[in-house]
Amino acid sequence: MTGWEQLVTTALLGSDRGTGASPVGVLEQAAVEAVARRAGQSPVRAEPLAVAPVETLPLAPPRAADRLARMLAGEQGRLIGEWLELAVAHGVRVPARLVPQLLDLGARDRSVRAHLGVLAGARGRWLAELNPAWSYLQQESSGEGLLDHGVWEFGASGDRRAFLRRLRAASPDDARELLAVGWDNEPPVERAAFIATFADRLGPADEPFLEAALDDRRREVRREAADLLTRLPGSRLALRMAGRAATLLVRDVTRLTVELPERCDSAMERDGIRSELPAGRSGGRKSWWLQQLIAHTPLDFWTGHFGLTAGEITRLPVADWRREVLMGWTRAAILQQDADWARALFDAEPLTDLLAVLPPAEQSERAAELVRAKDVNGQLIMMLGGIARPWSGPLAAAVLERVAEVAASQPWNAGELAKLAAERLDPALHDQLGHLPDALSVLPTTLRFRFDLTEEFS
Amino acid sequence: MLALAPDASSQKAAAGVSAPAKWSGAGVARDALWGECKGSGSKPYRACVDLREPAYRCSCPSRKFPCKHALGLLLLWSADGVPAADEPADWVEEWLADRRERAAKQEAKVAEKVAAIVAAEAASASDRSGASDGSGGSGGYGASGGSGGDDRRARQREERVDAGLADLERWLSDQIAHGIAGARQTALADWDDLSKRLIDAQAPGVAALLTGLSRVFRHEDWPARLLTEYALVHLLAVAHRRSADLPRDLRDTVRSRVGFTTPKEYVLAQPPVRDHWQVIACRDEDRDRLLSRRVWLHGRATGRIALILSFAPVGQPLDSSLVLGTTIDASLCFYPGSAPLRALVAARHSAAPSGGPPSHGVGEADRHSSPASGEAPPRGERAADRHSAAASGEAPFHGVRAADGHSSPASGEVQPGGERAADRYSPPASGGVPPRGERAADRHSAGGVPPHGVRAVDVPRLIADVLARDPWTDSWPLILSDVVPARVDSGWYLADHDPHDPKLENALPLLPGTLWQLAAVSGGHPVTVAAEWTPDGLRLLTTWDERGQVVVL
Repeated sequence: MTGWEQLVTTALLGSDRGTGASPVGVLEQAAVEAVARRAGQSPVRAEPLAVAPVETLPLAPPRAADRLARMLAGEQGRLIGEWLELAVAHGVRVPARLVPQLLDLGARDRSVRAHLGVLAGARGRWLAELNPAWSYLQQESSGEGLLDHGVWEFGASGDRRAFLRRLRAASPDDARELLAVGWDNEPPVERAAFIATFADRLGPADEPFLEAALDDRRREVRREAADLLTRLPGSRLALRMAGRAATLLVRDVTRLTVELPERCDSAMERDGIRSELPAGRSGGRKSWWLQQLIAHTPLDFWTGHFGLTAGEITRLPVADWRREVLMGWTRAAILQQDADWARALFDAEPLTDLLAVLPPAEQSERAAELVRAKDVNGQLIMMLGGIARPWSGPLAAAVLERVAEVAASQPWNAGELAKLAAERLDPALHDQLGHLPDALSVLPTTLRFRFDLTEEFS
Repeated sequence: MLALAPDASSQKAAAGVSAPAKWSGAGVARDALWGECKGSGSKPYRACVDLREPAYRCSCPSRKFPCKHALGLLLLWSADGVPAADEPADWVEEWLADRRERAAKQEAKVAEKVAAIVAAEAASASDRSGASDGSGGSGGYGASGGSGGDDRRARQREERVDAGLADLERWLSDQIAHGIAGARQTALADWDDLSKRLIDAQAPGVAALLTGLSRVFRHEDWPARLLTEYALVHLLAVAHRRSADLPRDLRDTVRSRVGFTTPKEYVLAQPPVRDHWQVIACRDEDRDRLLSRRVWLHGRATGRIALILSFAPVGQPLDSSLVLGTTIDASLCFYPGSAPLRALVAARHSAAPSGGPPSHGVGEADRHSSPASGEAPPRGERAADRHSAAASGEAPFHGVRAADGHSSPASGEVQPGGERAADRYSPPASGGVPPRGERAADRHSAGGVPPHGVRAVDVPRLIADVLARDPWTDSWPLILSDVVPARVDSGWYLADHDPHDPKLENALPLLPGTLWQLAAVSGGHPVTVAAEWTPDGLRLLTTWDERGQVVVL
């Protein structure tokens, strides 16, 4: 036992019970020992962290980085996503001092992870290896070595996906053949991600591969393949779907009558129809099958089948199950990116998802019409929430007009609309807002903030 | 710029009023920045900023300081949104003149008191050299220069403190005699009671030591920790009882730790240390509804570290005249003691060139520095004086003068381990004065230069020296140069960077906590780190990234 330990034991038990040491003596000796122990601490041997790899991307401009720091500290935090997008577009990385906060953000918010793969740079990857909470970063592409075949053989999963996307963009046939070589040995979760790359430059040559993928063990792979095949009008799946659909919708002179499917057989399930109701959906299973069958039938089939345009078809009265039929077509229009159908369906029911299928100018025009025609309420704001930034042209003008119009009569709704507009309007409009009441100062302030944010990257 | 804001909501609000459309009649001339901001009322708010300090004034009713208008104006200015003018507006000029006048008065008042103390010191020194120390156990400054009533009050306090500490000595001795095994059950109430009695006995420093004791129970080895604390408190009580026999510096240390406040004038009567002081770290604490701010300064030439403490009640602004990352050319006076650390800014000569973060103001002031700016009044301690340590229940300062007595700043007084830093001293100009006309952020990117510090392997010797002079030291600021983060199992360390032998025994443990920021900035490369030594490991304060920008850890 050391002198110190002896002193502690004496103090614990009480010096009266011990060897008769005086309490003051114990205190004095302890003071000497305690200070000596503090003064005598010596360094130890520890393993320095491995050195992080060299960065390949340039740093974000200092002013931009400072703004990000402020946003991470809470100022206009909702705009962080926009900053990250811009930074990725400019091919820069964030300063190391901000990487931990960003990686923490990514741990909470999946939507920013893809950006972080690039922005956090080599330092971010190095940190992600040290801290398990940040390991998600390895699933994201770093944006590096994209034409280097070694990445495909040995890279992290995020980089392999990015490599395949790049190859697909350059040569769909090469990408498909490369994928086919090791397909059976890829982990299921990777197969689902890989097959999604076929959406880019999808063509008839992809049909056999995708048709085969309908027999995959993993449901995500099967469903992705089925969705892609509906976009190929000549595919075997499209023909099978058209055959099924033909019996479901029948034109009865001036209206459509609906025949619900009687069963969902294994062939239908193979083609991507889900037999079971999804969680949260009520009602019968047959109407669910109906909607899915319509959603997976090439839209061109209907125009040929009925001899009418998309507009004419969507205006036909439907005897029963109108809602399921319209939902089916809507899903099909979005899946098949069919502008004609999207336009016709939007007239029937203005869903913002359909707007996304239209060319940008038309999108803005149509949304503007709605903004002018409808009441400013939660529904309108939710609808507008589906339209991606930047809003400009007719939509921007209409929104600003409406905000000013209802500012006095409906302050709350005007405020909500102003908040949304502040995040979506083209920031170049920041000095063309005209006079707004003080209560709506969020609009000029946020827009000016976003304008500065954009400027700092140039 | 936003580092100047008192809180996050002020930052937000400031961003809201930084749009050019909000401002009219804004301008910048000499060291003043001003503008009129449209508010909710009919009259616009007039805000102006004295960029030398920075100091603020605004006609708005906000109790926050600086208010959002002043901050918004600064933001606008940093975005190059304020035109230069030849002369400040009349109302600005009025304010500036007013400030100058008040500063001059204040300075004259303090100078008078300082002169009185210096004279008294000189007199008592000559007394002492002639005869034995006549002033007895009472501190050198407590009894000097006061009227009869002050003397009586001072004597009364001495008696109360003596009685309180004698009581404490007996209690401690009883604890050891009967054993501390039952402390977990009984001690909390005892400490509470004792600390109340010590407050009544006007020994707030010791009272605070007792209130803080309960943290020992967070550790498994609490008996050893408690014995350490008891022993050190006992040592303090005994040292105070025998303070007449102690060297002057050590006596100052003991008195400050017991809880005697050192008058500002007494501190300012100490020899000033002029240097380019870099603000290397800043930490705010909120304890018992009292905010405290610690600002650490590092002198480029002397290698010394100084701690500037300020206090404010919750809701009131803390002193914001020292901005992290900037460097000031100033004279500091250290609180006397055997290991001096706490200091006052006695005079700011002019803003020194530095590229630290929100340095626009500093740079600007530098360009237009007028002779008057050298006469800034001592600042930063107003709040501290009003809310002395007694209110905070905390020892007012930890600093005590070096046992080897005064050495004048001219002789290059350095800290242990600071010799090296003094050798490496490079003139401020090499700190990278950014070319004129650069925008704030560009200058910002030019960054500051990390201060020169010591090697990890030298730290034990340095700490041993500090402890030898002030055994009650429980934290001491350090700057470590060329260190890398290291790990042993789950514990983090800082080790000297040695590419030839990375496995040397030179790693210092860090307090547990979030250390990823340091790892991120370093990336395994050597960095400069400012930290506080504590008996349980280093508490990280700041580091500098590859651009020289200071990063709070």
